[in-house]
Amino acid sequence: MLVAAALSLLGTLHLGLARLGPGFAELLAWLGGSLDARGSYVFEQIRLPRLVVAMCGGAALAMAGAMMQATLRNPLASPDFVGTAAGAAFGGALAIVLGIAEWSVLAAPTMSLLGALLVTAMVFVLAGAHGRFSTTGLLLAGVALNTLVGALTSFAVTFTFDNYTASSRVLFWLMGGLEARTWDHAAITAGGLLVFGGLALRRCRELDLLTLRDDSAFSLGVDGPRARRVVLLLACGLTAATVANTGGIAFVGLIVPHLVRLLVGPAHRLLLPLSAVAGAALLVFADLVCRLAPPDANLRLGVVTTVLGAPYFLYLLARHRRGELL
Amino acid sequence: MNGLVAQNLVFARGSRQLLRGVDLALAPGEVVLLAGRNGAGKSTLLRLLLGVERPHAGSVALDGRPLAAWAPRDRARRLAYVPQESDHPFEFTGRELVAMGRHPHLEPRQPLGPQDRAAIERALAAVGADDFADRSVATLSGGELRRIAIARALATEAQLLLLDEPTSNLDLEHALQLVTMLRDLRGCRCGVLLTAHDLNLVAPFCDRVALLHDGRIVVDAPPEQALAAARVAEVFGIQSRAAAGFFPREFTL
Repeated sequence: MLVAAALSLLGTLHLGLARLGPGFAELLAWLGGSLDARGSYVFEQIRLPRLVVAMCGGAALAMAGAMMQATLRNPLASPDFVGTAAGAAFGGALAIVLGIAEWSVLAAPTMSLLGALLVTAMVFVLAGAHGRFSTTGLLLAGVALNTLVGALTSFAVTFTFDNYTASSRVLFWLMGGLEARTWDHAAITAGGLLVFGGLALRRCRELDLLTLRDDSAFSLGVDGPRARRVVLLLACGLTAATVANTGGIAFVGLIVPHLVRLLVGPAHRLLLPLSAVAGAALLVFADLVCRLAPPDANLRLGVVTTVLGAPYFLYLLARHRRGELL
Repeated sequence: MNGLVAQNLVFARGSRQLLRGVDLALAPGEVVLLAGRNGAGKSTLLRLLLGVERPHAGSVALDGRPLAAWAPRDRARRLAYVPQESDHPFEFTGRELVAMGRHPHLEPRQPLGPQDRAAIERALAAVGADDFADRSVATLSGGELRRIAIARALATEAQLLLLDEPTSNLDLEHALQLVTMLRDLRGCRCGVLLTAHDLNLVAPFCDRVALLHDGRIVVDAPPEQALAAARVAEVFGIQSRAAAGFFPREFTL
């Protein structure tokens, strides 16, 4: 309830606070239907779709993180560390560089999904044997493939250097950001959240069981490797539908499930929906910081989430070294 | 037949031949101890009987149907399992872990009902875990975690139980409580197949003892026969006086 209230407040601030253009008075007028066409356009076509992408994207990334942590039985797993986000970014960048993104609004998300699936699958093959994944194996494979895919993405971007507009578009996208998001972007992010997130919410108890050893889960009627593949596919879908529209946004999938788990425990019946609400609030907050920063600072969304998330990750590593459960 | 029947099971891990043709049966209402040396393949045999691993040859049937032909949740309502080790990366409470035992009885979005809650409470009481059921697993001892894992298997209300070293990590009081529970389970027409190294403690409460040695069941008989000195010498390589060494059957908890 508290998190939902915070999200509502942040959403209102996101719509009404701005360095330029209409403010809270105009927001109230717009809600009352008495704002002029120009002001209404700012809310309807600029700020509201941006808010929807931020909310749905944050929710999707946080849910994907919670699902990956459960299925990999590893509290350090997240779309960032197992290569899903990097793969999605590579697919999206490739779509922009090759001009495929111009064909259809669905082209970049589709390429992102393919990239996410491919890289995630490769990390699992490298890290796991017989469906078992160690923290070390996952992190090593994740670091290796994140670096490799990052280099490939940079290589792809170099092809746009003779075209200033295209190269700045790709680079800005890679650093994450929600500028100029339209209702098309909002529809894809929200659609991804509704479809993949909705299917994930039907599997809350199965996610609880996937945190057990495979033989224990099997004895309770869950085929661990098969269920894990399905859940990871859903997590890839959530990540790709978001990253394709927002660019690279780190740490949301790692820190949000952790914080929510501290509040409500690890049972996914509460953890999954509350992570979605908290993830939405975090990304709306981070985007608000970007929007209110001085324009010269060129503050990118991915930079803000990293600045927020990296210290928390170091704190988790410190706990892990002390042998505490994460 | 009702129960679990394994015929001519063959299994190798890598180049190591673990099972070379194992026949074993477990009927409702009987308690069977599976014993053997470390590394003899007892845990592997339990995993084959559960169906989580497939034999290279031979078959396992549950209530007359091949194990693989059972729908997972139907099988889980008939056959429960406690692994030798448990690890929990997240801080569930004991009660939440035991509640997972109700999964085979519930539809995906169906919440726990009064019947489920009653089964969970019965299971917790049976292993004496009421006191710490609401504590996080991070604060539980090895023995307490063991009792929670056994309670989870009991919460399934399955008629057949496979328990891999259920007495490990348990203090004497709770080990005795567990073997007493075996007697109660037999009374409820449950079949239990368990592995254990403390033969003195467990064997007197069993109907049969099956000794696994060199990839085969070398004897499957009532405890007094199965643990005759000659057999113990053959399987464990020690001289013994098994009949005199049995733990007393009469005790007060």
